[in-house]
Amino acid sequence: MRSKINIYLIEYAINSLLRQKYKSFFITVVLTALIFLLSSLFFITNSIKYELQSTVNSLPEIVVQKVKAGRHYDIDVNAIDDILTITGVSSAVARVWGYYYFENAGVNFSIVGIDEYEQQYKNSLIHVAKKLDFNSGSSMFIGTGVKKVMNKNYYQEYFNFIKPDGTLKKVDISGVFNGDTELESNDVIVMSKENVREIFDIEEEKATDIVVKVANENEIATIASKIKLMYPDTRVITKDDLKISYQNIFDYKSGIFLALFVVSLFTFFIIIYDKASGLSSEEKKEIGILKAIGWRVDDVLKEKFYEGFIISFFSYMSGIVLALAFVYIFNAPLLQNIFTGYSQLKTSFELPFVFDIQTLALIFFLSVPIYIAATIIPSWRSATLEADEVIR
Amino acid sequence: MIKLIDIVKKYEVNKNNIVTALKDINIEIKEGELVVLKGASGSGKSTILSLIAALSKPTSGEVIVGDNRVSKFPDNFASDFRRDNIGFVFQKYNLIPTLSVKENIILPLLPMNLHVKEIETKLERVLKMFHIEHKANQLVKNLSGGEQQRVAIARANINTPKIILADEPTANLDEKLSLHFIDMLKELKAEGKTIVVATHDPLFFGLDIVDKEIEIHQGVLS
Repeated sequence: MRSKINIYLIEYAINSLLRQKYKSFFITVVLTALIFLLSSLFFITNSIKYELQSTVNSLPEIVVQKVKAGRHYDIDVNAIDDILTITGVSSAVARVWGYYYFENAGVNFSIVGIDEYEQQYKNSLIHVAKKLDFNSGSSMFIGTGVKKVMNKNYYQEYFNFIKPDGTLKKVDISGVFNGDTELESNDVIVMSKENVREIFDIEEEKATDIVVKVANENEIATIASKIKLMYPDTRVITKDDLKISYQNIFDYKSGIFLALFVVSLFTFFIIIYDKASGLSSEEKKEIGILKAIGWRVDDVLKEKFYEGFIISFFSYMSGIVLALAFVYIFNAPLLQNIFTGYSQLKTSFELPFVFDIQTLALIFFLSVPIYIAATIIPSWRSATLEADEVIR
Repeated sequence: MIKLIDIVKKYEVNKNNIVTALKDINIEIKEGELVVLKGASGSGKSTILSLIAALSKPTSGEVIVGDNRVSKFPDNFASDFRRDNIGFVFQKYNLIPTLSVKENIILPLLPMNLHVKEIETKLERVLKMFHIEHKANQLVKNLSGGEQQRVAIARANINTPKIILADEPTANLDEKLSLHFIDMLKELKAEGKTIVVATHDPLFFGLDIVDKEIEIHQGVLS
């Protein structure tokens, strides 16, 4: 009884690849490199999409900013009372925050102020508010990226902020802040509003902006227009506006990735075309010999299938493993910068691991079956000719 | 019994050039006979062997081997027929130079997916029969012409076929090795195999083991 899988044919296929070791090695290296590049692009895209989605989801529904001469100014906190009178508004919180430029490292930190008994506009801030020591007068929670930068500059337990008047404000590091996403929390410092006001010289009655929560999502646009009517000198930004602006940046960056994707696919298909356009005279003769000594067409094709499968599956697995290591262990040097920018103004962030079986399947179907087909088709052409003709 | 009935074989070199390799060939070879096909190069001897082995199909006429109308076989049937019935020794041996002696010999058995023991038994038998046990693991490309020919014959006999076809088997051998080949043919004939040798080597003419000599001249029986 013949079993369905013929070990001898698999062994012959492996032998055949080893007999042409330089050619097999070259094809494997090129295929692995292409699959690695494609997978890396997909993995980075997936991670950043996930990151952006999480960021967008955590955004406030409405942000109200005061604008003067087209520029963002501090808003009067009394506006909160008027906004709360609008039907449908469930909460309005004044935010005190800003960007602090740390000259020694050449990076920006985002400093966010919170109050102990105030309703927090984000879940992650609720956890920090519980842990932050408001009584000590000067303590802060910092993001992982900030921690790295501070440690690198010998600030282990505290940090000295330079105030607008040139004096220093020493703030102790109480702990590391873990936000919902890396992009959101990496460069963030959370401390009491009082400290933020002191560092940025913001008056007691002023805030950076006001975030508004709306009970019914369908009412966001209506409430935004009411706020605009109430305060014509403000810019009212809804969650949808922010989503669009994030998406635009992402789509623009995706274009660069798409170009890389097209180049790698193009290279892959050149190899496929080269393989599919014919066999060497030695390969043809070998098929003729095998036919002449009693191999059937399907025996030849099975053997060629194993050859193609071994090379393409090995390349696929190697490419995927290398891409996983490149993206999630080494944090995709060079490629990640296309998305996150080359500027040193932001602290570094690590790509979140996103396991997407659909991506792996897509890469598999773009590489393995196409390569196997390219191996089998020219062999099938030779195998279906009369053996006598092929040998001669 | 091998029968070639009214065989015509034409090759199309290109649209305007069609070569007639065989014309009205009628041959009958009985079971157990050793037949020599004589003729100059290009006379059509190899074409006759190809037709018997179902390696190619006649343009017209019929080839019958035993109860099989091999000229009507579809491709996969022809492969099965060759595997089970024919041992072909090609003029240039048609071995795979980068495989070892034993890998070349067992090639016809691989698609049959036999048990390892069965393959080993068959391999040992032919290695001994054709005195190449000591070369079993060597690459074929490192063997001499005579040794390569013994590998080719061993491969042709691995599946104990009833018919042995040899195309110019001594073309690349010196006289001593050619005589040794003839000794091997004697052994195969003694086993009851039907043997057809296409050759223009005079060593084969008038041999006592030869039952019939058939001469071909420019595709026609003389």
